[in-house]
Amino acid sequence: MISTFAQHELKAFWRSKNTGKNLATRIVMAILILYLLLNVLVVAFYLDKIIDKAMPDEDIIPGFCGILLYYFLADLLMRLQLQELPTLRVQPYLTLPIKRNSVVGYLSFTALLSVFNLWPVLLFTPFTVKIIAHENGASVATVFILAILGLTVFNNYLALYIKRKSNLNGWVFLVAAGVLILIGIADFSWHLYSIRGISAYLFGHLIKQPVLVLLPMLLGAAMYYLNFLYLKENLYLEELGSRKASAYKSSTEIPLLGYFGHIGDLVANEIKLILRNKRPRSSLVVSLFFMFYGLIFYTNPQYQSSPGIKLLPAIFMTGIFIISYGQFMFSWQANHFDGILVSKVDFKDFLRGKYLLFTLISTLVFILTIPYVYFGWNILLAHFCMYLWNLGINTTIVLFFANRNYKRIDLSKGASFNWEGVGATQMLLGLPLMIGPYLIYWPLAAFGHRDIAFIAIGIVGLLFILTRSYWIKQLEKDFNEKRYTIAEGFRAK
Amino acid sequence: MIEIKDLKKVYAGVPVVNIPQLNIARGESIGLVGNNGAGKTTLFRMMLDLIRPDGGEVLSNGEVVAGHEHWKNYTAAYLDEGFLIDYLTPEEYFYFIGGLHKYSRPQVDEYLAGKADFFNGEILKRGKYIRDLSKGNQCKVGVAACLLQKPDLLMLDEPFANIDPSTQIRLKNVLKELNSQGITTLVSSHDLNHVTDVSNRILLMEKGKIIKDIETNSSTLTDLEAYFAVGGQTV
Repeated sequence: MISTFAQHELKAFWRSKNTGKNLATRIVMAILILYLLLNVLVVAFYLDKIIDKAMPDEDIIPGFCGILLYYFLADLLMRLQLQELPTLRVQPYLTLPIKRNSVVGYLSFTALLSVFNLWPVLLFTPFTVKIIAHENGASVATVFILAILGLTVFNNYLALYIKRKSNLNGWVFLVAAGVLILIGIADFSWHLYSIRGISAYLFGHLIKQPVLVLLPMLLGAAMYYLNFLYLKENLYLEELGSRKASAYKSSTEIPLLGYFGHIGDLVANEIKLILRNKRPRSSLVVSLFFMFYGLIFYTNPQYQSSPGIKLLPAIFMTGIFIISYGQFMFSWQANHFDGILVSKVDFKDFLRGKYLLFTLISTLVFILTIPYVYFGWNILLAHFCMYLWNLGINTTIVLFFANRNYKRIDLSKGASFNWEGVGATQMLLGLPLMIGPYLIYWPLAAFGHRDIAFIAIGIVGLLFILTRSYWIKQLEKDFNEKRYTIAEGFRAK
Repeated sequence: MIEIKDLKKVYAGVPVVNIPQLNIARGESIGLVGNNGAGKTTLFRMMLDLIRPDGGEVLSNGEVVAGHEHWKNYTAAYLDEGFLIDYLTPEEYFYFIGGLHKYSRPQVDEYLAGKADFFNGEILKRGKYIRDLSKGNQCKVGVAACLLQKPDLLMLDEPFANIDPSTQIRLKNVLKELNSQGITTLVSSHDLNHVTDVSNRILLMEKGKIIKDIETNSSTLTDLEAYFAVGGQTV
């Protein structure tokens, strides 16, 4: 039975629309994943050097033992945020003559197939082999690896257990996250205890008494069993699902937008789209977080000397929403795209709505980032000019690429590790958005006219804003050629 | 009202719609029947300019549908949930659709009050987004949004499929009333009883072709049942 399940799972993966069908997407995805893995591996292989640098007055192995518990605490917090529940895939099997135990066993087991379980193994195994095996012998190293595996499994199922519980009651999640954060604060700020000390003590004992490895392994097994039992008791669709028990949803209005009339209505809908669905919401949250991007750059004197780099925070802070949300333009509305095409929405108004949405959010971010003027007036100038550029040119580029985006996005799915809707369009889109302003900036800045370069960028942006109706017309013409392809792509579930 | 000329659509070498000529006069009520895969939905989609025909054209009020927008002013359609903005509450959706046709909120509210029976207390003020409604209730929202637009031409794809018996009867009454007001309706269905009840003309599709085009009379239902009968048994 399990092998049949596994086969179905493989088919589901390879046949899903998300799995990049074309070669280019697959290659880029593979490179990205490899790059990530490589980063982790580099850290893993030089972990001894890193620990040595970070804690020079301590031996490496106690130092290593000290960080392990930190890692697993942080890991748990991350998992609570990002790990997805393996859920509804069991629905078709529930009513078939298959033993509950095999369905539940399968569901619990596949929960292990998560990238989160790969990181600790990748991160800590090289060190264990390199240092601990060398110092304390192969058997102690094996014990260490087993302990890490045990804790990984424990974390995996604990996170899933909390997530499942919190689906039924939202407070569970808040309490769990709160407890984790409290544990951290109690150590770092209040110095009630030292997690590092505890961690070093526990893992230090592991070296002396390898039998203790049974403890983390038992913890892992117990957590697995708890999950198994819970699932078996609650093998009902509504409890398995990642959908939260829904509270009363009230209709809301955004009064400011009434001012823009019909186009305002379109924007109001889109704002609701963003706020009421996980994935677009997280792209908005990320954009707001990017407002702190400047703190990294502007506080670092090293960057002050290389002014070309100054453009980066300005591009990102005022424009990240246009990039992160705009790259999937129209896909967000894939679910009801037929409805839009048939309804009395003029496509020009539809586009004007997009411009208005971008303008509102970029303006908001621009205003909120004004305090960076503390680091110098020309930062404000750079922000303002890039703001104009983003609204004039990058919005138009994003919408141009939106006409070439035929991939559906299912709004009900979360954002993390979600490749749905990602295609060649998104890969290509980044280039003109990033390089564009530099084409103007570099030549002028090379002659030392840095402020003039900013102003030139602003003027070009302004020109595009003033000629926007022309661009809208071009985009509409372009759209009319591609509308059937777009609609068809969005219909393909 | 509607004129179809040489309309063709081919998927992977198989013609799914192939209609040399079809005229629909103003005020007619058309029932579209046919087994799965007969091409009903594809025909609807081409009539709404959602799919590019491989040949031929659809004219609405004498104007080609493809590439034009005028037909949107007097056409309302509900084919599937893809027509609903599912993260809105039903109220927000009605206000939005109403706003497109320049109806004020009080006007929309007034219209919705008149639909209280049809909604059966399950749509409005329930604190749910459209995506959280059942398929049947979503269908009610879709149909109600169509009627809100006061269309001259109404197109519904299998509206009876997911709704409860009471609503089916209410919907039939609504459709009959629309016809008495001279509104053109085009309704597809697998329920032969319902569709013959609300239509004065039946189009029977098979493999993309309209193989029967008949006025509804007392024997229509029996004729259709005979066509769909399997192995000598009637439906």
